[in-house]
Amino acid sequence: MSAVTRDTLMAYVDGGLPPAERTRVEAYLAETPEAAADIALMQRQTDAIRTLYGPVAAEPVPAHLSVDTLARKAEGARRRTWMNLAAALVLLAVGLGGGWMLRGQSDTPNIADRLIAEAVSAHTVFVAEKRHAVEVAGNDSEHLSSWLSNRLQTNLAMPDLSAQGLDFLGGRLLPAPEVPGGRAAQLMYEDASGARLTLYVTPSPGPNAPRYELANLGLDTALFWADNVISCTITAPYSAEKLQAIAHTVFAQLNPTMPAYES
Amino acid sequence: MVDVLHEIEAAVPALRRYARALTRDLDRADDLVQDCLERAIARRGLFRPKGPIRAWLFTILVNVHRNNLRGARRRGDMVDLEAIPEPSVPAPQPGHLALAELDRAIGALPLEQKEALLLVTLEGLPYAEAASILDIPLGTLMSRLGRARATLKTLTGAPSEPHLRTVK
Repeated sequence: MSAVTRDTLMAYVDGGLPPAERTRVEAYLAETPEAAADIALMQRQTDAIRTLYGPVAAEPVPAHLSVDTLARKAEGARRRTWMNLAAALVLLAVGLGGGWMLRGQSDTPNIADRLIAEAVSAHTVFVAEKRHAVEVAGNDSEHLSSWLSNRLQTNLAMPDLSAQGLDFLGGRLLPAPEVPGGRAAQLMYEDASGARLTLYVTPSPGPNAPRYELANLGLDTALFWADNVISCTITAPYSAEKLQAIAHTVFAQLNPTMPAYES
Repeated sequence: MVDVLHEIEAAVPALRRYARALTRDLDRADDLVQDCLERAIARRGLFRPKGPIRAWLFTILVNVHRNNLRGARRRGDMVDLEAIPEPSVPAPQPGHLALAELDRAIGALPLEQKEALLLVTLEGLPYAEAASILDIPLGTLMSRLGRARATLKTLTGAPSEPHLRTVK
């Protein structure tokens, strides 16, 4: 007969032993008072825990925890998500169309217009998010800065736009097939009225890229700027004048090693 | 789909009971249950009934609770004063006082021990189901249970057995 271990005693209390084992443990308990005392203590613990919290299950369930209500709410939210997505696609089409109109002399949309379209679509998708607007919150700005800098393989500082009345919410990493490295960082800011501004930052698309472009997209304005190190598209529901003023601050801070921005 | 909702509904009282014991706070417990239900409802299409739906719900609840605690730690949340155990004094008599002491002792248990202990004692779940909810091997579950019980014994001062005392 194998020994009766503490685990076996515990399993006895918790009802986890097959009948044959139970009989064996009961025989052991009859001749081992210390084990019997252990068992009694464990049983008292279980009883007391059930006395303490058991009655909660008999309380009436509050209305806001009704599965029916929650399921209906979820159905509504799903429909809204689809509508948001549809709206985003429309805006993306507008953005691409805008890019097409800005294409200038060349036949294919130039890299700046394609990056603006990417930036605007990312802007549209993520500014609508309340809870998951950013991947890394702005209060962890140092981590964000080093993380995004590593990923983009360029030195990236998080611009402080509080002088412009914009709070830094945070950032996320996005795919950007158009540029070397294939990655973009999106940084998000919010003003007192809840309007959101995003910076879409990528490594420089190359020496032949345009330096500067402004696109008016209905509600939003997008401003693109590139040098030999990075490109940045600012998108916000602001006028072109206001966006240009903000751009000065952004470009001066984004990459401290680069020369001052001139429009 | 409708059946899944019914099964979720049937589990709500048990989820509330478990959440209340985990958090020892009515509002936080019900917030936790609401989060858990919302997730379960949103993902019920993904649930493949290979086990009881109850186990799946408890797994979601445990994960949401752990996430909340992680968030709270990052924010440097306040510590529940009541959760700090007082020096144990042997209970003079079983009854209300001993229960309050036990409540505090449970609040002071490390989370992983508390999760395991409450699934087995309060919810009366078989070891195998509790282990699968917590995604740990059976042996790990039993060692957490053993440690939880030993800690409770220390913190509540293991009252002497009142009924079996021999009179000489």
